[in-house]
Amino acid sequence: MSSDVRFTDFKSDKQPTWCPGCGDFGTMNGMMKALANTGNDPDNTFVVAGIGCSGKIGTYMHSYALHGVHGRALPVGTGVKMARPDIEVMVAGGDGDGYSIGAGHFVHAVRRNVDMTYVVMDNRIYGLTKGQASPTSRSDFETSTTPEGPKQPPVNPLALALASGASFIAQSFSSDAMRHAEIVEKAIEHDGFGFVNVFSPCVTFNDVDTYDYFRDSLVDLEEEGHDPTDYEAAKEVILDSDKEYQGVLYQDENSVPYHEQHGVTEDMSEIPDGAPEDAMDLVREFY
Amino acid sequence: MAEDLNWAVGGEAGDGIDSTGKIFAQALARAGRHVFTSKDFASRIRGGYTAYKIRTSVEQVQSVVDRLDILVALTQRTIDENLDELHEGSAIIYDGERSWEAEIPDEMTAVDVPLKSLAEEAGGAIMRNIVALGAACEITGFDVEYLDEALEKRFGGKGSKIVENNKAAARAGQEYVQENYDLDHLGYNIETTDSDYVLLNGNEAIGMGAIAAGCRFYAGYPITPATSIMEYLTGRIEEYGGHVVQAEDELSAINMSLGAARAGARSMTATSGAGIDLMTETFGLVATSETPLVIADVQRSGPSTGMPTKQEQGDLNMALYGGHGEVPRFVVAPTSITECFWKTVEAFNLAEKYQTPVFLVSDLAMSVTEQTFPPEAFDMDEVEIDRGKLVDEDEVDEWLDAQGHFRAHAVTDDGVSPRAIPGTTDAAHMSTGLEHDELGRRTEAEDERVHQVDKRNRKVETARDDEDWDYREFGDPDADNLIISWGSNEGALVEALDYLREDGIDVHVISVPYIHPRPDLTEEIEAADETIVVECNANGQFADVIEHDVLTRVKRINKYTGVRFKADELADDITEKLSEEVPA
Ligand SMILES: Cc1ncc(C[n+]2csc(CCOP(=O)(O)OP(=O)(O)O)c2C)c(N)n1
Ligand code: SF4
Repeated sequence: MSSDVRFTDFKSDKQPTWCPGCGDFGTMNGMMKALANTGNDPDNTFVVAGIGCSGKIGTYMHSYALHGVHGRALPVGTGVKMARPDIEVMVAGGDGDGYSIGAGHFVHAVRRNVDMTYVVMDNRIYGLTKGQASPTSRSDFETSTTPEGPKQPPVNPLALALASGASFIAQSFSSDAMRHAEIVEKAIEHDGFGFVNVFSPCVTFNDVDTYDYFRDSLVDLEEEGHDPTDYEAAKEVILDSDKEYQGVLYQDENSVPYHEQHGVTEDMSEIPDGAPEDAMDLVREFY
Repeated sequence: MAEDLNWAVGGEAGDGIDSTGKIFAQALARAGRHVFTSKDFASRIRGGYTAYKIRTSVEQVQSVVDRLDILVALTQRTIDENLDELHEGSAIIYDGERSWEAEIPDEMTAVDVPLKSLAEEAGGAIMRNIVALGAACEITGFDVEYLDEALEKRFGGKGSKIVENNKAAARAGQEYVQENYDLDHLGYNIETTDSDYVLLNGNEAIGMGAIAAGCRFYAGYPITPATSIMEYLTGRIEEYGGHVVQAEDELSAINMSLGAARAGARSMTATSGAGIDLMTETFGLVATSETPLVIADVQRSGPSTGMPTKQEQGDLNMALYGGHGEVPRFVVAPTSITECFWKTVEAFNLAEKYQTPVFLVSDLAMSVTEQTFPPEAFDMDEVEIDRGKLVDEDEVDEWLDAQGHFRAHAVTDDGVSPRAIPGTTDAAHMSTGLEHDELGRRTEAEDERVHQVDKRNRKVETARDDEDWDYREFGDPDADNLIISWGSNEGALVEALDYLREDGIDVHVISVPYIHPRPDLTEEIEAADETIVVECNANGQFADVIEHDVLTRVKRINKYTGVRFKADELADDITEKLSEEVPA
């Protein structure tokens, strides 16, 4: 790690193909800033991306990266981190990727408390497949596949995380650049699974959850004097569906990340040229 | 053929059948006898018939036969299920004091031993199976001291009192038979040798092979019959710096393993049929991202949930063709328990040398069968590790493009690109399941697409030339009739040779451990008058492949009852097949 890393070092020279104005630009910039500010560099960073407009982030960033299959980014990140506790792992994807097809993995990544950062670009719509309802879409949100709205309540990802035993829950807004970068930075620095749900508006398919909407309705928890280490207070704001919050909602100060709990600390990439020295012991067990 | 003895213990699931059988098998192995075990079990945890069978000889045994000499029956069903394998000289040990009245055919020797009461006297009813083992020792003339050794191994960790009680229970069984029966007329006399054998099953051999090969990360989701690989690795792989994760499902298991592999660890996942289905999407990603990964499929009866505790070799097509699009892959199928070890080691080398998924295809019969081997069969000094084109910091420069980007998917003559793991300076790059250029960046350009597809496929072509895709041969290589088999049928086939020879039939057996790429058998098949392909599935998946390769029709022996081939039965099948007309 070098101290002179700038956030632009995390930029690839591939031009994003996101629609002009897409919230994902801001989300990505904040992620890159946060990585640089926390002393990481592209050679020690691994970004795992989901599938969706959001998942393209791996292409536009410069680091070790894998752009996988739809919904499975978290398990990949988990594997990377277990093999290499020395590597900074960041997982990114959309609300469909994370809370629909990948919902099962979300619950389990949260409860495992693997030391990585998960950034979900929540635009409350399926962008890449051109505008179908997502698990966070409002129940009356009309889309091509839900002409009268999904008629079901949206998933509350923060509550899902809390119920799964999350040790760090935050929410940010991609266009509030400074705050967003700051929040991701806190997630990176957290010892354990740092989960950040980012409002990242889709300007093409979602005309409800817009920049204006978030700008007008967002309540900043820091300004409100919210204490994220107070579980009961966190529960209250997380279950409050009347308001949209930004900031760190919950942080467990005693969080012990997976690798420490399980003693997974070795660099697994290093192996001997032949069988390990005492490998004959394995055979002797069967006498 | 060597004098062999066939022994079984059977009862209800939950009766401790497995551990009873295993203790006796270990005692026999201690006595320098070869052992081959098989299990009958139903897919339920408590209740339901279950049996543990042992075939033992001073020579190597590698198959089951249709004969039972000594049966420890804890239920009537145990006797009924095995009636056609019992014969005049069979002895059946049972507990006449228990509520069921054993119906034992007159011609057999009924050995009524008060198992429960004797066990209670020795310290607890739970030891009634050990009493039965003592009785079995007496009937077979087997020195009970070997049983003592096995009991020490089994219960040593639980304290000397438990060990002593168990020994006493065994003695009680032995003495009871001695005092109440004169069974010399049965003529059993278990010969011992001073050989030293290890006793293990195929899944244990796969797990051991993985550790020996430097596997450090394993993620899996429980499924019969693959779970015991995970159980073996748990707690052991940690001693070698690795870790096992029980994932939330197979989708997660393969993706975690993929993540660990990309991070540079030798990594594996294992499952069975249904789990392979779930992993298939990621299987394509492993190939396009050019990640080394070993995926073991311990086959069981399908389709769907099928018969989870029964044998089948029905996933071959899945391994060969599974997945959307065209995916380069290796498919390796161990043919014996020792091969489960060696092919696992090889699978890791292939995966890293060619940076692509390797299917390790085993099956239920092999996974639950325990067999004895001299420990040298798993000589760790023979294990070689080849990490392929893993580049370090000094080599990165050679692979940078004019702008200084690492060409992680460089198009090379052999199809294999340099591989840099995270932390390697200046080699940061991204990989994706999308079609991509040499740098890993998405592309749909026609020429790039063709280059990358060709490059990935070329790995398999390179490997086809560079590696030994040999086969194993048995019987008479000059015989007119050729038998081809893959996977676990080898043992039964090798023993079937003896039965066939007795009937004056000589055959040439080729047992194929490599399914893709595979050896070219054109010459052998053309030289033979007749070729029969033997496999545990209904449609002859391997036979189809062979016919496709050599453009010649072959005969097929297919068994899909859920039960593995037996040597004597297979000999009969072969004799019958040979007399049938060749298919047009
Ligand atoms: C197995 C599978 N099913 C469906 C798809 C098609 N698909 C691609 S992206 C996507 C949804 C993306 O939505 P979201 O995660 O919200 O990301 P966004 O595009 O909005 O950023 C779907 C359904 C796929 N790639 N793979
Ligand atoms: S469709 Fe929506 S989410 Fe996708 S790039 Fe355009 S604005 Fe962004």
